[in-house]
Amino acid sequence: MSKEIENKLKEVLLTVRNPSRYTGGELNSVVKDREKVDVRFAFCFPDTYDVGMSHIGMKILYSLKNSRENWWCERVFSPWDDFEQVMRDNDIPLYALESLDPIKEFDFIGFTIQYELCYTTILNMLDLAGLPVRVSDRSDTDPVIVAGGPCVCNPEPLCDFIDLFIMGEGEEVNMELLDLYERMKKSGTYSKEAFLEKAAQIEGIYVPRFYDVSYGKDGVITSVTPNRDNIPPRVKKRIIKDFDNVFYPESFVVPFGEIVHDRAVVEVLRGCIRGCRFCQAGFIYRPFREKSTDTVCKEVKSLCESTGYEEVSLSSLSTSDFSDIENMLAKITDYTEGERISLALPSMRIDRFSEEIAQQLIKVKKNGLTFAPEAGTQRLRDVINKNITEEEIMRSCTIAFLAGYSQVKLYFMIGLPDERDEDITGITDLAVRIADLYYNLKNRSKGQKLQISISCATFVPKPFTPFQFEPQITSEEINRRQRLLLDSAKGKRYISISYHNYKVSLLEAVLAKGDRRIAPVIERAWRSGCRLGSWDEMFDYDKWERAFSAEGISTDFYAHRAIAYDETTAWDHLDYLVDKSFLIRENKKAYEASTTPNCRERCSGCGVSKAVGGKCFE
Amino acid sequence: MNKTTVRMTFEKSGRAIYTSHLDVVRTMQRAIKRAKLPVWYTEGYNPKIYLNFPLALSLGVESSCEPMEMAVVEDMPLEEMTRRLNGTLPDGMRILDCRYPKNTNKDIGFAEYEIAFSPAHAAAEAFDPFVAQEKIEIKKFTKKKTELIVDIKPYAMVLEKDLSDSLFSIYIRLPAGNNMNLNAGVFSGAFLSFAESSGKKLSCICTKRTKILCKNGDIFA
Repeated sequence: MSKEIENKLKEVLLTVRNPSRYTGGELNSVVKDREKVDVRFAFCFPDTYDVGMSHIGMKILYSLKNSRENWWCERVFSPWDDFEQVMRDNDIPLYALESLDPIKEFDFIGFTIQYELCYTTILNMLDLAGLPVRVSDRSDTDPVIVAGGPCVCNPEPLCDFIDLFIMGEGEEVNMELLDLYERMKKSGTYSKEAFLEKAAQIEGIYVPRFYDVSYGKDGVITSVTPNRDNIPPRVKKRIIKDFDNVFYPESFVVPFGEIVHDRAVVEVLRGCIRGCRFCQAGFIYRPFREKSTDTVCKEVKSLCESTGYEEVSLSSLSTSDFSDIENMLAKITDYTEGERISLALPSMRIDRFSEEIAQQLIKVKKNGLTFAPEAGTQRLRDVINKNITEEEIMRSCTIAFLAGYSQVKLYFMIGLPDERDEDITGITDLAVRIADLYYNLKNRSKGQKLQISISCATFVPKPFTPFQFEPQITSEEINRRQRLLLDSAKGKRYISISYHNYKVSLLEAVLAKGDRRIAPVIERAWRSGCRLGSWDEMFDYDKWERAFSAEGISTDFYAHRAIAYDETTAWDHLDYLVDKSFLIRENKKAYEASTTPNCRERCSGCGVSKAVGGKCFE
Repeated sequence: MNKTTVRMTFEKSGRAIYTSHLDVVRTMQRAIKRAKLPVWYTEGYNPKIYLNFPLALSLGVESSCEPMEMAVVEDMPLEEMTRRLNGTLPDGMRILDCRYPKNTNKDIGFAEYEIAFSPAHAAAEAFDPFVAQEKIEIKKFTKKKTELIVDIKPYAMVLEKDLSDSLFSIYIRLPAGNNMNLNAGVFSGAFLSFAESSGKKLSCICTKRTKILCKNGDIFA
């Protein structure tokens, strides 16, 4: 352990909030002898410990890298602003939690990028580490800065700061990348440049400096081309073909303090069969693959035993689409009930909410019930391809009410393509019909008050979705539609309505669809103090607005402009296996309110099946 | 077998001192689960491992005497329970002793602390006039948020002082338990501000709870 940092920490830790998140030393954290390791990897989550420690991808890659005896992967999170100030005042550089060593001395610094609002936190963490934030200002001996996660499907706004991006699923490609590094270091052939050039030839690795972008007079991208030989013109994302046998940790680090998702998590499936047209995850994680019931049960048991958690969650984009769901839940509850462990199913689709599942869920602990119809009318649900009917919503609510639930949370989006005023008031109409259903149910448990919470997000167009071409609605228009919804729900006391901050959604749209010209804005926003933007109390749009105007960048161009089908987008040179022609087809179908069946029912030819050898399903 | 109460004494040191009381409870519950101790769970919607901590420890304070009570529903030798739990606790937390309780929580009357200050000589110089004061007054906030001035001098008993090159340590006994509870931090805080008012900038390097005593002076067991 780095004595110098340890001693400094002793002097300051009691002056900051929740100090246990800065000490390391948690159960199951991996400590190795630094003299005996060849590759050191600082795995950074660009948000606070409480958020980052809840992230499953980090847990997987942490355990996987540490399974190599001579590699040491450690965890790093962003300090909260009180501790950041203390670190800066006392010259404590950003350190890794296992060794307390400064991450500036590591071989790799890797970020997982889960949402756009953390971009400035990445810069802040590099700066706290004592490194220049720009690629061009770092030296050959500085660590290689890498990044992965869903946001890197369009990494262009971050190209000035990150050396290489890892596209798609990380279990194989991370190992290949570190193997290459170790080989080059050992043979003495390593230089950062030589390493990056070799790395760029690994499928799934994108090294932005080897690509040139040119722009037309109207500001639209005209081409993205490699600027040297041996660099692939398009970079293809990686997928794990044999998902049932993919590495999964047998234990998690167990934090001292309470974190956001303080429980054991088993990933039961990857990808999604649904194809909701607004949902980026539904496209970039294709194809759909699931683990076997036996594998899931085995992983649940081993994680619960190694962590002592009192709750386990079955995680995925849509856990109810697991083909053997009822049998699996029965088997798992057999184990969890005996051990007094409660089971959480965070991603349930409304149309799959059966009586049996409700019963299983309620056995150990009553969790709140959340559904996401996303749109208020059937027509708009068809536009976005959320293939749920009102009948299914009502049936699920009936089951839930009969099982004893009286609180329902419904998620909607406002500002969807082709949205009309009757779709907005339709949200209230739907809530009213759910309330009628509740009060007319004879067998529901009495004495509880019905509560319907409606939570509305603003639609954000995202890359690699059929709605990537769509403009986001303006601030005036979102205000008008929000007022319309509030007016329609007046006097209905069982309904409560909440909104997401529009400025957050606007910024998400710009950063999600942005190109390399956004980088100076990100840097300027960070220098003016923007970081930890996913926290309401830290989000400061005024600073962003000043950064945009100082750099002469228009948010309208990125957020409110429709993209033509034949325009070259900032991410067209990245291949997420879904064909652009498919996205265009789906976009056209949206305007006809025409739905596309789910992948299990019928293949819609999105292009992904080619990558898995012809067929996603047997 | 009916449930039987067992009292363990644990140590809190190193990085574990930054774990708050609530988090210690959670950490213990998980460690007990991993250790598969045959413990009793509370009843109701969210069954939890029953644990009782008679005297919460402030954040940042070390201890070599933290009591914790649980209920056991199957026979298991006490040594075996200690061995198992020590196998699943994180660094800095260790079970020192496990027994069937002799005392009840109500018996607790005092706790003893070792508190170290630096710079050593300045602290040693300031300490004698500090305790020689007629009154040692601190501000306390009542539940109604009104300020209350309390003289803590009659409650604090200085047992020993120790001066080394780098540290000045004191050993004190303070009232603890249900009737009157005085935090070690309050005492050292009063000393630090006393020293500061005479121009000495001191810092409290570490605080350690060393003993919990019954009202009659016996070790709480």
